This record gives sequence, structure tokens and C-alpha cells, in this order.
Amino acid sequence: MTLSAFLAAWRFEWRLLRRDAAAWAVLAAIATMSALAFFDGAERIAAQKAAIEDARRDETLRLDALRKTLADLDAGRVKGETPPYRDPRNAVFVGGGSAAAVAALEPTPLAIVATGQSDLFPASLKVTSGTKDSFLFADEIENPAHLASGSIDLAFVLVFVFPLAILALCFDLSAGEREKGTLALTLASAESPTAVLLGKLAARAGLPILAMIAATCAGVYLLRGAEPLASCAFALLIAAIFAYGAFWALLAAVVDSFGKSSAYNALALIAVWAGLTMIAPAAVNTLADALYPAPSRSEMTLAARAAATDADRERDAALARYAEEHPDATATEMKLGDAKERTIRRLAVLETANARVEAVMARHEAQLARQRALADQLSFLSPALLMYRSVADIAGSGDRRYAEFSAQLDDFHKRWRDFFWSRAHAGQSLTQADYAALPRFPASADVASASAGVASALAGGVGLPTLLLAVLAWRGLRRCKAA
Amino acid sequence: MSEIVVAKAPATQAPAGRWRVARAVAYKEWAELRRDSRLAWLFGLVFLLMLGALAFGAAQHMRLDRERAAAAATDRALWTGQGAKNPHAAAHFGQYAFKPQSPLALADPGVDAYVGEAVWLEAHRQNEAQFRSARDAGVGARLGGLSFAFVLQTIMPLVAILLGFAGFAGERERGTLRQLMSLGASPVDILAGKALAALGALSVLLIPAFVAAVLATLFLADHDFSVADQLERLLALSFGYGLYLAGFVFLALGVSAFAKSTRTALVALLAFWLANCFLAPRVMTDVAKRAAPLPTALEFRNAIAEDKKKTFGHDETHPAFVAFRDGVLAQYGVSRIEDLPVNFRGLALRKDDENGFVIFDKHFGALQAAFDAQDRLRAAPGFLFPALAMQPFSTSFSGTDSWHQFDFATAAEAHRRRIQTAASEDLIHNARYGDASYVASRDMWERIPSFDYAAPAVSFALAHARGDLVALALWAVLTAALAGFAARRLRPL
Repeated sequence: MTLSAFLAAWRFEWRLLRRDAAAWAVLAAIATMSALAFFDGAERIAAQKAAIEDARRDETLRLDALRKTLADLDAGRVKGETPPYRDPRNAVFVGGGSAAAVAALEPTPLAIVATGQSDLFPASLKVTSGTKDSFLFADEIENPAHLASGSIDLAFVLVFVFPLAILALCFDLSAGEREKGTLALTLASAESPTAVLLGKLAARAGLPILAMIAATCAGVYLLRGAEPLASCAFALLIAAIFAYGAFWALLAAVVDSFGKSSAYNALALIAVWAGLTMIAPAAVNTLADALYPAPSRSEMTLAARAAATDADRERDAALARYAEEHPDATATEMKLGDAKERTIRRLAVLETANARVEAVMARHEAQLARQRALADQLSFLSPALLMYRSVADIAGSGDRRYAEFSAQLDDFHKRWRDFFWSRAHAGQSLTQADYAALPRFPASADVASASAGVASALAGGVGLPTLLLAVLAWRGLRRCKAA
Repeated sequence: MSEIVVAKAPATQAPAGRWRVARAVAYKEWAELRRDSRLAWLFGLVFLLMLGALAFGAAQHMRLDRERAAAAATDRALWTGQGAKNPHAAAHFGQYAFKPQSPLALADPGVDAYVGEAVWLEAHRQNEAQFRSARDAGVGARLGGLSFAFVLQTIMPLVAILLGFAGFAGERERGTLRQLMSLGASPVDILAGKALAALGALSVLLIPAFVAAVLATLFLADHDFSVADQLERLLALSFGYGLYLAGFVFLALGVSAFAKSTRTALVALLAFWLANCFLAPRVMTDVAKRAAPLPTALEFRNAIAEDKKKTFGHDETHPAFVAFRDGVLAQYGVSRIEDLPVNFRGLALRKDDENGFVIFDKHFGALQAAFDAQDRLRAAPGFLFPALAMQPFSTSFSGTDSWHQFDFATAAEAHRRRIQTAASEDLIHNARYGDASYVASRDMWERIPSFDYAAPAVSFALAHARGDLVALALWAVLTAALAGFAARRLRPL
């Protein structure tokens, strides 16, 4: 009987919604905003892919030029001395710049749903055998005002606009009828008033939730094909949309159950919306930054410079000692400007600086990890913040994937360095065979590994509050009065 | 309602009489606001948010100042302690230029987190600023931080809407509007009174926060930023935010006068608030990106490299190098480089640098012009969606917009050029041609001053924010006109 009351109310409300201009306005808003977001996402991904292709083309051109010069040198077609920084046989200089390897972070199939940090981090980096700080902080050109404001992506629509669409339809669930004088009749027409109100809520909230899910499916299918729709990450995204939508609908029901006017409900809900989507994230970010301030990158770079300077000085001192102990050493042997000497000096400086930079960067990363761990914990205070981070992780443009990319870069940087430095230490010149055997950065991993973490965060940060609200709404609606 | 002494006001009033009506309405509104405990809570919360934002901003400011001062001192010590070295090698050794923070960044951090905090100054190359702190902050930080500007631009319009949405519609629903008008109060006088009360209530929030901002600014201003200039900027900010918030008060009252119910007024105003604060900035960002696209970093660097290929660099076989060498020999009336009274390598390096300066000016200038074109496009509908004008106006007067960043980058580049020129001049006058063992000592490095940045004056901000100021004024005038128009058409029932 209760189920039938629920279904009857749902059907009746559904019929009313079909004639309600507000419902159509909500549908139009979701459709328009989602279309804009997907359009923007498609352009963003195309630009990222183009940037990666350009970087790879540039890499190919650089390597081809080095191989050609090497062939010319081998064939004796180059006259005069080639400076070490232009010599394709010089492992230290080639690995340190001219042959720099492209490490790219390809957009994932679901990258279209969230910009995340992808507008701040370049899609590709040029890894060298220099210290990590010399290539890690490259930036893509972007208008800083645009970075600060962000653009329209589906994550923004989901986190900010979607809740408002739900609240616009659900804020006067019983208050609207009470003000029109029809609530008494509605409640009297069924054995279970709670089931009737829940049926109305399901119809009103179901419309934007279904519309949002349909828009997400359609956008991904039309722009990325059917394959991503079958992925675990996409299933997680749909579950997140449903849970987040249910959270806001139940919140509206709880506020409505206080029995106040629809204007009061609207104000209270907009205040909660502003608190959860704007103020809480801003406060969380500010608090995390205040408690664990991000370390100064300048300090890290200066440590690298100091290390390089120290290494230079040590080498000068060693050379001076050698000259003192070997007064018969020839001028040529001691000549600082000699190409071989410059190469050996550069290698020694790089090795010393690298050890120090690695240590300084590890300290910085540890401090950042503490800040992010705190932000992670505090983000449970705001389902909106948690949803935003989760959608970015699902899209592969959040902190998780950049952390994975950073770990991959570390590994590759070591391989790249070892490849060149081992040859330099052995006094070997690079050959065509070495160029053919250059280490390559692996293709980017997918984000399947992130799914478990995202799912548990969503379950704790959105699912639990939703369940709590469901209990409160149930109790509140049972006490609903007609006047 | 005891304040409604306006009952005695005549139907046709002299200006002084009209002022009395407006004042009486304002007193009545003010009394109602004071009695509303919900508003007291709201004001308390917003006030705490503002103070919290200022306190966090000041703490952040002091921390970053300490870090940058320490980094600058370390960098200077590295520069002066680099040991005996060839001056050109020292130019390659390079320096960092650290951007001093504007004291008003504590109120509006602007784009500071999205541009680098330091520029690497090295030979032959102008670099972009590096170390965007937003990269370290994680994806959650993209939802924004708590700043004074965030409260003023986003929360305060909401407060203004809450103060005004029931202004006329609420009175109509309660039946008091008919009563009020039947007593002879004209709708425009009622509007003036209600606007006065709402603006007064906003001032209660803003004046203490403004005083706190003045104190914080005085405390944080140092030799890079004049106190008088910062106070002028603060005054300009107050004026801009005054226009921005007054517009919301007029809009709320105007919509309230038009709307059939408080509910309709509230929904319409909230929809506008959402569009203004959240949608318009993002939509216009996307429009600007498409309408005035920027080059990619690779394209930008390749374009510079292409231009640089036309100059000789270190390539002594380049036709431009041969032409330069022949020109120098002719200028000094000798036939061999060795016979020159000055060092030719130094001359060639100086000439190469000078060629580079022109190329960098062209490309970096064009890039900033492209940013500016995007910013202007983005702010164009600022008179309709005032957040689009308020954001650049606020960052401009806070010294945290891309033009202030460009000014810093230009100063840093000028310093780089001083270093390059000094290094080349030293070679020209002191080194013998072909002697690779020539080195300069610590004295030389100490003679080159450390980077000292003088931030631009308030007139610089005004020059770049003039359009935004016009848009904000237009917004206030248009909303006032809308409110006046709506009040004249006001129906008591």
C-alpha cells in the first residue's frame, strides 16, 4: 500500500512537472551547461594532444639533426673543432639538453569531464640528465586570469549547477502546497503521507538527476565513443552523480520538513549551498595552507645552484692541488677551457648538484604530501569539494594521476641519466647505435588504480552524509503538517 | 512601525520633504533589520569571514615575504661569491629576480598563484617567471581560497540581495505598501529610503573591515611599496566595491518592485547572482580563449628561435657576424681583429645581446598584448555582469593582475640586460683578444647591484582598469535607473 502511494504520488508529480515551466528551465539549464562543458572539454583535449604531438615532432627533428651531424662527423665532413655543447658524441651535453626526451601525459578517455590541473601542468615535459628542477617546472603559456577563474567543465556543472537545479525543484516540496492550500488534500488522499511526499521528492529530484546522467552519457558517447561508457571509471562517475544528486535532494527534504515557508527554505538552502560549495572549500584550502604551507620552490632551486657552485669550487681546488703536486703538468693538461675538461667538470657538477637537489626536493615533496593529506581529510567537510576532487581523479586530471606521473618521471629521469652518465664516465662517445637505444618514456598509465581510492572517498564523504540525510528526511516528513 | 511619521508628509513635497520621507523609511528599515536575528547571525558570520580572510592573507603575506627575502639574500651571496671567472661565464651563471608581493595582495591575491614568483636571469635568453604556487596546492585549491576579495565579490552581493529582495514585494504581500503609499510617500522616496538603509547596513560590515585592511596594509608596506600609494589604491578599491555592491542593492530593490512575490524576486536575484559570480567569468574565459588564442609555449619559443637565427649568436661563420666584424674593423680603421684597441669578443657579445633585446621585446610584448586582448574581451560585458569588471579592477588596484606581473617581468629583464651589458663591457675594456684565461674578480660581481624592484604607482593601475571602472559605474547607474523605473511603476496591490 505504501509503495503504491509512493508510485501514485510519483506519477502525479511527474505529470505536474511536465507542465511546469521551472522543470523545463532546469532541463534546459542542465542540457546547455553540459553541452558547453563537453564542447570546452573536447577543445581542451584536442589542444593537449596537439601540444604532445608538436613536442614529439620537435623531439624527432632534434634527434634527426643530431644523428645527421654525427654521421657527418664520422664521415669527416665537418671541418674544425665542434664545441662540446654542440657535439652529438658528447654524452653529457646531449643527454643534458639537445636530445631531451619527451615525457607526455596523454589525456585519458574520460579527460573530457574535468579540466582539473591539466591547464596548469604542461601536457609534456622535456626530460634531461640535468637536475630535476631544470625541467620539472616548465609551464604552458596560459592567461593567468583564465587559470584563476577556471573554465566551464562538467566537474563545475556537476558540483555547482547540478545541486541548484535540484534545489530549484525541491525547495518547496511541502511548503509550496501548504502556501497554495492543497497540502491538506494531498496528505489526506493517501494512507501514508510520508510515502506521498517521498514520491513527490523522487519525481522532482529524479528529473535533474536523470537529465544529468543522460547528458553525461550522451556527451561522453558522442565525443569519446562507446568504449569509455563501459569502463569502471565511468560507472563510478555515474554512481557519484546519483549519490551527489541524492544528497542535495534529501537536504532539501530535510529543510522542507521544518515546516517553514518556501522563501525560508530557498534562503536556507542557498545558504547551505554557498557554505558547502564555496565557503567550506575555500576555508579548507586556506586552513591546509596555513597549517602546512607549501614549501618555497625558490629555496629548492637555490639549493641546486649552491650545490653546483660548491661542486665548481671543489673542482677548482682539486685542480689547484694537482698543479701544486705536479709542477711538471703541461699547460694543455691544466687548461680550464679545454673541451674535455669542460665535459668532465660539467659531469662532476651535475652529479654533486643532483644528489643535493634530490634531497631538497624529497623534503619539499614530503611537506606537500602532509599538506595534501590534511586537505584530503578536511575535504570530508564538504561533499562538493570531495565530489570535485573525485571527478578530477576519475578524469585523470587530479592529484592522483599527477602523483603517478611524477613517480614515472623520477624513474625515467634515473634511467635517462644513467644511460648518458655511464657512457660519459667510461669516456665513450655516443654512436648511432646509442641513439637507436635511447630510453623512451613509457606510454601513460590509465587511471584504473585511482578508482578504488575515489570510490572509498565518495562512499565516506558523499554516501554517508546522504544516508544520514535520508534518515533525517524520513523522520521529518513523517511529522509533516498541513498547516 | 512607529517610525512611520511620514503620514504627515504632504502629497506634493519639496526636496527637503522628500529627504525626510526617505530618511524616515530608512529608519524604519534599519529598525526592522536590527530586530531580525537571522540577519544578525548572517552579518556576524560574514564579518568573521572577512576578518579571517584578512588574517590568513596577512599571515601568508608575511611568510612569503620572509621566504623571498631569504631566497634573494642567498641568491645574492651565490652571485657575489662565484669566484674569479670570465665575465661571460658569470652572465651564464645568472641570477634570480624575486617578485616582491604587493601589500594589498592580502586582500586580493589575484593571479599571483598562477604566475611565477621568480624570473631566472641568464645570458642570451629572456625567461618567463617560474614556480606557480597553484601547482603545489592540489586540485581542490582550484575551488578558490578564502580571501577578502572572495568575500566582497561573492558573499557580499548575496547579502545585498538578502537585504533588498523583500523590499517592495514583501511590503506588498503584507499589505503595508498600500498603507505606506496612501500616506503620501512617493515610490521613489521609499526606494531611496530602502536603498539608504541597505547601503548603511552593508557599511556596518565594510567599514570595520576597511579599517582592518588599512592597518594591515600600513603594517605590511615596505620600501618596495609606498604607504601613500597603497592607501590611494585602497581608496580606489573601496570606491569600486562601493559601486559594485550599490548596484546589487538597487538591482534587488528594482526586481523586488517588479516581482509579483518575494519568492519570484528571490529566485530571479539568486539566478542572477549565480550567473554573475560563477557562470559569466567561466563562459567569458572560454569565449576569450577562442576569440583571441595564445601561442603554445613551443610555438612561442620556436618563433623567438626563428628570429634569433637571423642574428649570429656564437656562430662566427654567420653572414651577420661577418658583416658586424667588417663594420667594426672599418669603424676603428684597422684590418685585423688583433689590432683593435678593444676586445672584439666583448663587442660581438654586446651586439648579439642587443639583437636579442629587440627580438624579446617584440615577442614578449606581443604575448602581453594577447593577454590584454583576452582580458578586455572577458571584461566587456562587465556592465551587465559586474563580477567581470570587478575582478580585474580589484586585482589591478591590489597590484596582483597580469599587467603588474608584466611590469615586474620587464624590470627583471632590464636587470638582466644590465648584467649582460656590464659583463660584455668588462670584456671589451679589460680582456685581450684571444686570451681565454681572462677572469674578473668579486669586485666586478659586487659592482652589479642586486635586483631592486620599484612597484608602479596607482596611476598605472588606473590606466589599465579605466574600462573596468567605467563598466562598474555604468552597472551602478543602470541598476539605479532600473530601480527608479520599477519604483515608478510600482503597484501597491
